[in-house]
Amino acid sequence: MLGYIVRRLITAVIVVLGVTAVSFAILHFLSPTPAYAVLGTKATHAAVVSWNKQHGYDRPEIVQFFSYLGNLVQLNFGYSYKLNQSVAALFNEDVGRSAYLSGAALVLSLIIAVPLGIAQAVKRNSPGDYAATAINFTLYSMPSFFLGLILIQLFALDLNIFPVGVGDNITTAWQAITHPRQLCLPIVTLALLNVASFSRYMRSSALDELAQDYIRLARAKGLSERAVLFRHLLRNASLPVITLVGLSIPTLLAGNLLIEYLFNYSGLGLLFYNALGNEDYNILLAYVLVGAILTVLGNLIADLAIATADPRVRLD
Amino acid sequence: MAAPALKVENLSTEIRLSRATVQPVGNVSLEIGEGETLGLVGESGCGKSMLGLSVLGLLPTGGHVTEGSIKLGDKELVGLPERELRRIRGNDIAMIFQDSLSSLNPTKSIGEQVSEPVRLHRGVSRKEALDRALEVLELVGLPRPRERLSDYPHQLSGGLRQRVMIAIALACEPRVLLADEPTTALDVTIQAQILSVLDDLEQRLGMATLLVTHDMGVVAGRSRRINVMYAGRIVETAPSEELFSSMRHPYTQSLLGSIPRLESDPGRPLLSIPGLPPDLTDPPQGCRFAPRCQFATDQCRAQEPPLSGDSDHKFACWHPVDGPAVAVSASTGTRVSVTREPAPAGPAATVAGPVVQNGAGPLLEVVNAVREYPVTAGTMLKRKVNSVKAVSDVTLQVRAGEAVGLVGESGCGKTSLGKLIVGIEKPDGGQIRIAGEEIFRKRGGELRRARRTVQMMFQDPYGSLDPRMRVRAILREPLQIQGVGSTREQDDRVRGLLSEVGLPLNALERYPHEFSGGQRQRIALARALTLEPRIMVADEPVSALDVSIRSQVLNLMKRLQTERNMASVVISHDLAVVKYLADRIGVMYLGKLVEVGTGDDIYRRPAHPYTEALIKTIPVPDPAVEQAKRGVAIRGELPSPINPPSGCRFRTRCPLAQEICAQVEPPMRRFGQSHQAACHFPLQTPEPELPLAPSGDAAGSASGH
Repeated sequence: MLGYIVRRLITAVIVVLGVTAVSFAILHFLSPTPAYAVLGTKATHAAVVSWNKQHGYDRPEIVQFFSYLGNLVQLNFGYSYKLNQSVAALFNEDVGRSAYLSGAALVLSLIIAVPLGIAQAVKRNSPGDYAATAINFTLYSMPSFFLGLILIQLFALDLNIFPVGVGDNITTAWQAITHPRQLCLPIVTLALLNVASFSRYMRSSALDELAQDYIRLARAKGLSERAVLFRHLLRNASLPVITLVGLSIPTLLAGNLLIEYLFNYSGLGLLFYNALGNEDYNILLAYVLVGAILTVLGNLIADLAIATADPRVRLD
Repeated sequence: MAAPALKVENLSTEIRLSRATVQPVGNVSLEIGEGETLGLVGESGCGKSMLGLSVLGLLPTGGHVTEGSIKLGDKELVGLPERELRRIRGNDIAMIFQDSLSSLNPTKSIGEQVSEPVRLHRGVSRKEALDRALEVLELVGLPRPRERLSDYPHQLSGGLRQRVMIAIALACEPRVLLADEPTTALDVTIQAQILSVLDDLEQRLGMATLLVTHDMGVVAGRSRRINVMYAGRIVETAPSEELFSSMRHPYTQSLLGSIPRLESDPGRPLLSIPGLPPDLTDPPQGCRFAPRCQFATDQCRAQEPPLSGDSDHKFACWHPVDGPAVAVSASTGTRVSVTREPAPAGPAATVAGPVVQNGAGPLLEVVNAVREYPVTAGTMLKRKVNSVKAVSDVTLQVRAGEAVGLVGESGCGKTSLGKLIVGIEKPDGGQIRIAGEEIFRKRGGELRRARRTVQMMFQDPYGSLDPRMRVRAILREPLQIQGVGSTREQDDRVRGLLSEVGLPLNALERYPHEFSGGQRQRIALARALTLEPRIMVADEPVSALDVSIRSQVLNLMKRLQTERNMASVVISHDLAVVKYLADRIGVMYLGKLVEVGTGDDIYRRPAHPYTEALIKTIPVPDPAVEQAKRGVAIRGELPSPINPPSGCRFRTRCPLAQEICAQVEPPMRRFGQSHQAACHFPLQTPEPELPLAPSGDAAGSASGH
């Protein structure tokens, strides 16, 4: 098992290196130097050349890439000339808040989706099942910002239960946790988007498992329907969803982007959004890198979770 | 006798589906006393499983009992609230299902699963329940049960899993045990072990057992009484001996007559029941068997016969028969009640006459063939750590017009050998020669042309036909690939084939799902024959089919084999099927060919102890024979083909094994004209001559290479 994790981590490093190389190359091709962004578009050629020389942007691209890599190892993600702060410091500030938003949304969506999917499978083709399916498809096809806008209109502007956006007073993850009312709408918006796909998966996998003989045997043992579902069905039916959850971890990060912008919640997503407009490309690079790391880690975690939950899967 | 443990009276059930209502069980009555086994025999879809599930109150969604009563002792179960039924399930009435892999929860340990009903019904602690689990696992003969408690189902073999399932059923010492096809998914040798466990337990625990099966052989020696079920009705019920010796219902008669038997003459076609069981959403009026019954009259088609007769032997038929059909024909010398295959319409109907086996050399030669599948380790760099020895040094010859059968337990390498013969896989050693040439070593177009010489018929008629191709396209595809004939000629050949396998011409425009299993297997056979191969390999051609359908396909295969003078290799786990179809039989064990001989050599004069054990374990539909063979003929399970035992591979399970068996691999020795076996301590006296060279084979014919 340990050997397996080590090997997977080695593969992960290779994948992340590849992603870094490709995104570095693309960004440098599009904009070889941040000089104009720093000095302004009207900067003289001489000023740019001297800025480049000063900040090492006159070196060959390959050298620049390796020096970037060397910095990465020391957790130095470069410098944001626009915000006048190191990228690492900026990320450090925002990562907790984003993680809290994504994590809470993920947990909430599972709490809703798993029982919902099982209930739909048990009562398949009933009016309730059809209604849930209809709602799921509506949610699934809705863009995240649109769903967010609807919820803001309904719960913030009309009913006045929650604030429209997250206030500026929330500056740390801990403050976010201790002010649940302010975070409620963004978390619910993000969660609902996932409920749709998770519960569809859960429903179909529960349907498959319900038709299995071991469910019949469990009933023949004299177990109540509840016990059959909780002791026998739940674990087996959840297996396919585990992989899905692992794969959705990086999507949560992307989902954050619009939701954070919409609710004015300062997290990684908002940081990235602003960096896009500013051509603040050390931030952009770092964000892509974080996405790659999350994808690889999400996969690994899902595989490990499957191996723990399903004794038939052996990792070696 | 005391009050029966389980008494079912006039039970009818129905299941409401979205479009129709099925009545899977109609007016069924039966009773089982304590310590007694009642056999319930019928084909798939006849309602026998539904009867078992009705007793437990576990009919599928939309199902319920419409009429009748089910009594456990004095307690009426029909109409009992779910709560109380749950207290009876798994406690007073337990059930064993057919497929032990899908019936055990894959994510729970054996200990948890066996102790679960104990905790539920006895309210004991976890520890006490586990102790009880250990006790029952020991009772069902699970080796080293304590170590197995924390194992998961996938870590056990099929036979051991089935023991675990029996242990679950027995955990609370039920009064009634419903065994639904308890051994159908198992190999014959393991089946014999499981059946003897059941026999033993039933006597020791005094349970009432309902043994549900499609296999007449399984119930023959085990139940005092047998009920035969057809299309939801009990059509005949009698004490075992009487049912087998003097059945009255034509269905019982044809069911028994349609089973290929080891002792019967393979030259005589099997009795076959034409047509298919009725659709239970719309059962025929009158007797439900009438549409398939040769004795049916207008009365049968109008009026349903009641179950009547003397109290011991009842049957539901207006025109009862008298005893088995085969016996009648044997004594009078005529085949009075044998239903023949529909006569073929094509020009090929002229029978090619008996197969002449002299003259030309072998058409197919398998010479020292070896096939090993690598076992790899490591995720990034796959390195070969070992190999599964699927086929090890097998030598076999088949002449034109000859049919050779391969038998053995699952995992013995018979299918791998079949794949080598067809050229789907290449041997890792040795040669596959067809007409003296290694045709599969060719490349490109030459190889493609060579492939038409050998064709294959597969086991699963559902998986082997492309569901999105019409039958015409399925049958024409091989001709198109091989570029045989014009479109018109191809079409003519397809039509000819269709009538040869007994399907109507309108089948051409239909899709595979519109056919029954038996019909699909006919299509599969036709497809194998489109290219007029010189050799056909049939891998388990009938094991997915119901008994009454099986004989139709077997008769057809046998006829076409003879007519086309084709060499064929028939692979099956069922020795009787192989003996019926094949002139010679090869017995395989763990990748090795251990004995070869004619059907009679193998059945009457087996030389290898494995062959003998295999024959002994096959359930025979004859109560006297079955009761006579008590005890288990073969112990243990098939060893791993990754590390096969040294010397003779059978020695770990062989009653005669001695030291030499572990050290020296026994060579093939000759026991008769075409009879050879590889054993140090054979059951027959070998012919006094030198052991054959390993490449030599039957009939003293050319070992010239």
